[in-house]
Amino acid sequence: MVTYLIRRLVFFFGALFAASVLIFILIRAAGGNVAAIVLGRHASANAIDALAAEYGLDRPLPVQYIDWIKGMLHGDLGRSFRTGESVADLVVSRLSISIPLALSGLILGLIIAIPAGVFAARNAGRPVGAFVGLLSQIGIAVPVFWAGILLSLLFGVYLGLLPTGGWVPWSVDPIQSIRSLVLPVISLGLILGAVMTRYVRSAILDVMNQDYVRTARACGMTESQALVQVGLRNASLPIVTVIGLQMAELIGGTVIIETVFSIPGLSRMILANVAAREVIVVQSTVMLIIVFVIFVNLMVDLLYSVLDPRTRLGQ
Amino acid sequence: MRLNVSLIIGAILTFCAISIAVVSTFWLPYNPNLPNIPNRLLAAGSAEHWLGTDVLGRDIISQLMVGARTSIVVGAGGATISLVLGAIMGLIAAASGKIVDETISRVADIMLSIPGMVTALVLAATLGSGALTTIFALTAFFTPSFTRVARSAALSVLQEDFITAAQLYGRGRMPRVARHVFPNIAGVLIVQFTLYFAAGILTEAGLSYLGVGVTRPGISWGLMLSEAQNQVGVSSPLAMWPGLSIVIVVLGLNLMGDGLRDVLDPKLSKSIL
Repeated sequence: MVTYLIRRLVFFFGALFAASVLIFILIRAAGGNVAAIVLGRHASANAIDALAAEYGLDRPLPVQYIDWIKGMLHGDLGRSFRTGESVADLVVSRLSISIPLALSGLILGLIIAIPAGVFAARNAGRPVGAFVGLLSQIGIAVPVFWAGILLSLLFGVYLGLLPTGGWVPWSVDPIQSIRSLVLPVISLGLILGAVMTRYVRSAILDVMNQDYVRTARACGMTESQALVQVGLRNASLPIVTVIGLQMAELIGGTVIIETVFSIPGLSRMILANVAAREVIVVQSTVMLIIVFVIFVNLMVDLLYSVLDPRTRLGQ
Repeated sequence: MRLNVSLIIGAILTFCAISIAVVSTFWLPYNPNLPNIPNRLLAAGSAEHWLGTDVLGRDIISQLMVGARTSIVVGAGGATISLVLGAIMGLIAAASGKIVDETISRVADIMLSIPGMVTALVLAATLGSGALTTIFALTAFFTPSFTRVARSAALSVLQEDFITAAQLYGRGRMPRVARHVFPNIAGVLIVQFTLYFAAGILTEAGLSYLGVGVTRPGISWGLMLSEAQNQVGVSSPLAMWPGLSIVIVVLGLNLMGDGLRDVLDPKLSKSIL
């Protein structure tokens, strides 16, 4: 167990290091002279040099990299070129929107996927099972932003029940904030649910053919009891893996759905700063997201080893 | 032998999409980028414009046809490059010693833990948006998956007796891999290719919707949806056609991938239809 933990931790830090170098090189090396880009074509050479000096952009790249990482470790994510605002402050205010959105979407996805996947697996080979499977295939093919557009057309434009977009801050009117999040969460949850249904179904199908489920049946459990009490625990392993794998999908989906509904979350902030060439803001925010994803993957691995002692032994 | 419904439906849908994309290279009803203000926002069903026109009077069918081409070129382009790179890396990892294998596998793990959409945004910020950047982004996040799949498939083939036989016969390591391992993992790779082709189309649509993928004068279904959304309420059918097109093509490819998996690996029959 200890060796396993150490191996995972070494990978965790190795991955963080590699990802940070990659992001830094991609943004800095490919981005050209940052100060010149920020100030525009008509800026004088003096002004460009002054800005570069102010933000330390004139130093060698390795020094800048180490400085950036040092700052990150102390919670200093840098400042925006244009407004001078601290990136950390910007991120925190955006997270209060993006985290509830992404998390509710994931939970709704699971609420859909687990029953639907179990149902489809139990009825595999029958028309009802195939029907649920087909629905999930169609759901996988629907782009999350199209789901969002259709839902906002139906509930926003035609029925007028919910806002089609926009955002009211939590501090102003929390009820209104929640109303603004309903359609984005449903869009995200439906599509994630469709993707995850497939995984749950195939995990349950695998488990149903195992000897221990047959033994449980032989000991007098009904099929449902065997499935829920014995099967689901064993199927929980692949399902936990799927949640880990869905992180990338979830973040991608949140990026897009925030745009569909004009919700000023983290990803809208990244998009706006990509357009404005705010290198430091993009670099630090993207790195934060990557830290989060790699951390979730670490947690998934550890949870896996708690749920299934076999993974600790085998490599 | 039972007819494989998934494979047949999937292959038909995919064939139609590819045909439309091919036709769009030499024939289009109208210039898809030519504004025609007097004819703006025509409803579907008019004699000249079967699916109507958009807010600038541009023909919808012509745009959808070019959109099909964009989707297929970008999706297939990303999936093909990833397939080639991933197969090479995966085979090298499986056939080489522990150090090379560990290095390739860990690099793939790290790349997989970076969310693809975020990478694509960064690339768009540094390289500028466009179809090529999108293909590049797709390659960056599909290659590690292909590497993993190729590696694990190759490892199990390398256990087989016929590989030992080839070794005893005096074949070197690389000729063994090329002659005996690669043909045996080709089926798995084809299935993966189909599924990532579909994923590539969805990603391209998403990036173009965000404005960091294909931009005018290029045409993409995602871009059309983004333009349509600004007109929602004025003409909602505009938001239907590109979305339906994406669903049909992606569904077709995924069904085909499922069907192929059943045919190529009958032990694992899990397809839904």
